[in-house]
Amino acid sequence: MHKEVAKAFKEYYQTLDVNELVVKDLQEREIALIPIGHETMIRHMAFPETIALKEHLVENVPAHLYYSSAYYKEPQSPDMNKKGWKGADLIFDVDADHIPTPCKADHDTWTCLDCATKGAGFPPEICPKCSMKRIETTTWVCDRCLEVAKEEVFKLIDEYLIPDFGVSLKDVEVCFSGHRGYHLHVQTEDLKMLTTDGRREIADYVRGVGLDPRHQGFRIMRDGSITGPDLRDGGWRGRFAKSVYTYLSRCTFEELKVVVGSDDVANIIMRNKERLLRGIMANPPSWMGLRGVELGRTIRIAKAAVRDVLCNIDERVTIDVKRLIRYPNTLHGKSGLKAAKVSYSDLESFDPLKDAVVFKSGSIKVYVKEAPRVRIGDYEVGPMKDVQLEVPEGLGIYLLCKGAAELRE
Amino acid sequence: MLTIDDLAKYPFLRKASSFVESYGLTFQDLVNDEYYYVVQRAVERVKCGIRGRWAELNVVDPETEILSYPLALAFVYGLRQGWVVRRFANSEQKRCFELLKNEDKDKVAEVGKDGFDWDLEGTELMVSGALFDFSLPVENYLEVAPSFHSPDWKLVNRHVTGGRVYLKQVEAARLLSEALKLKILRKAEEEYIKKFQMPERLLSKLEGLEKLVKEIKIYDEDAAVEIIEEAKPPCIVALLKDLADGKSLSHMARFTVTTFLINTGESVENVLKYFSNVADFDEGKARYQVEHIAGLIGSKTKYVPPKCDVLRSFGLCIGGDAYCKKVRHPLQYYKMRAREIKRKKGWEKGA
Ligand code: SF4
Ligand SMILES: [Zn+2]
Ligand SMILES: [Zn+2]
Repeated sequence: MHKEVAKAFKEYYQTLDVNELVVKDLQEREIALIPIGHETMIRHMAFPETIALKEHLVENVPAHLYYSSAYYKEPQSPDMNKKGWKGADLIFDVDADHIPTPCKADHDTWTCLDCATKGAGFPPEICPKCSMKRIETTTWVCDRCLEVAKEEVFKLIDEYLIPDFGVSLKDVEVCFSGHRGYHLHVQTEDLKMLTTDGRREIADYVRGVGLDPRHQGFRIMRDGSITGPDLRDGGWRGRFAKSVYTYLSRCTFEELKVVVGSDDVANIIMRNKERLLRGIMANPPSWMGLRGVELGRTIRIAKAAVRDVLCNIDERVTIDVKRLIRYPNTLHGKSGLKAAKVSYSDLESFDPLKDAVVFKSGSIKVYVKEAPRVRIGDYEVGPMKDVQLEVPEGLGIYLLCKGAAELRE
Repeated sequence: MLTIDDLAKYPFLRKASSFVESYGLTFQDLVNDEYYYVVQRAVERVKCGIRGRWAELNVVDPETEILSYPLALAFVYGLRQGWVVRRFANSEQKRCFELLKNEDKDKVAEVGKDGFDWDLEGTELMVSGALFDFSLPVENYLEVAPSFHSPDWKLVNRHVTGGRVYLKQVEAARLLSEALKLKILRKAEEEYIKKFQMPERLLSKLEGLEKLVKEIKIYDEDAAVEIIEEAKPPCIVALLKDLADGKSLSHMARFTVTTFLINTGESVENVLKYFSNVADFDEGKARYQVEHIAGLIGSKTKYVPPKCDVLRSFGLCIGGDAYCKKVRHPLQYYKMRAREIKRKKGWEKGA
């Protein structure tokens, strides 16, 4: 890493208020870091308090700092079996990288390592030309990506964690990941002891994996008519009713036709739409508007309707009971941005590309090899290629950390 | 309130352990004549477990019932055979399930609290399409439910709100009894249990049980492990050929093949392989049905194939060979021929 960056990072940790390093039960967490300019991770550290941690960081400036989601009896033990697992936070990782937004075409590229085919946008799983799987990506984020990621966080908290899982806001910590998304740390005694299998069930619940509307109120009555759940029900029942309502009120005939797989059925539904919507709203609800539509087709509508309320999370992170995860309020070595803790009430207005920028003194001269349009703070440049630029420090550090720029005299 | 009769029904409860402790007994004391029935009952419980049945509840003498449970467990662990522990755990699970299914709601909740620290709460919640009898915190539910593989136990297919999962009584009974089973199984892994030595004076009882274990094991290996192709009756052979050709079978035909294969000792995995050629094969669904038939899930009854009479009236019997004339049931056919074939093989080896 560049000397400029190392210097800036060191300064950040020197002037950091120790209170920013406060995490729940620090002394029970394993701490790990990748020092600036190194590749390998130093693991199995533990610190009794934040002051000791801060001192260590100033002496050994990290490009990346992690702490374990798990609580251990002996977090510093190098033998995983001897650490003595005492539970773990429940983590949700929302990463814009995993969400196929349309803007990916503007800022992401991929290259096949086998045949050198290149493309823009969300990378394919296998190379379309040679069918190999070794695909290298160059990804960036834009406001749209980060906005979509933020929506996912709100969805997770407002639609699932609070109403369904009964989690209270004070037990949820939201952090900007420092790069392309957010981490949610749910820290309650109740959920702390969940096993991997238990956590997988929760991940599947919010992702809708294995979801069967027939278990959530959709069924055939004795007379052959279809009935469905109530908007006022909790859990997936209520979510289904609300989603189907929203979906039917805005879907086009063409969309519906594809979902139900029949022109006639789509026609019936479109014609009955008003009555159907009124019925779903009614108390108690009536799904009589679906008369003549088989259960199988109703199920397909229900599944299509909930597509937008499913959470886009990286389930591998959630099910892992011993994850190392970025330490809140520390710097991300691939962006120079701060993995800032954000309170729920500030989240709406939180602008990661501004509020997570910590380097704000003066300007810096960099040579940009290649980058799409980039904004940091109020300053925006690009797309650009092979240019020498003088930019505000935050943007300069960002480009250097991304590996898109270098320092040249 | 849990009475002494309740403790006899649910001897795994903490209250039952304190009851046992209040006697201040050591294993040594149990050799005295006074406790003859306790030892007998414990042996009986273990025997039932090994044979895959569950000991009928003895309501006449709740003390013996309660005192015999920890001793039965000690025997089971003392035998140091994984499959014995599994069978015993299964039989205790079944027994517990049957009892809880029809238990008073208050009692079910108390069993949850005292046995597993679960905050099971009686309720009468009506949501569209369902009436629930209990609610349970998500984290309690997830201690056990992931070990069931059918889709209806997935959290996503449950009614979850306010951090609680809603259940019908039979489901609560299923979860609690499974929690008991897991508790028995996990305890076997603990160090002090592995090191446990049966006191000298109870060893004779343990030896008696060991003999039974050996017998059953031999019988099991004989009956289950080796599948003898040539011993399968014509009706089954025909159905298996249809499957291999990728034809889809009627419900009755599918039930017949599946039950037949399971009862000859085929594993669920193997049974599924027979079906995998069929065009409309849906792994998840098929697995669920096969596991159900094998008695691994659901009602936990192991099903057997229909009798030849029934198969005949469904047009599935193609009968006609000499053995068919002697039997009334396809499994009887299999056993008869299997025995013959094995005997022959034995001679050949001997010669
Ligand atoms: S008589 Fe029984 S065993 Fe023989 S073919 Fe018919 S059904 Fe099968
Ligand atoms: Zn290629
Ligand atoms: Zn974007």
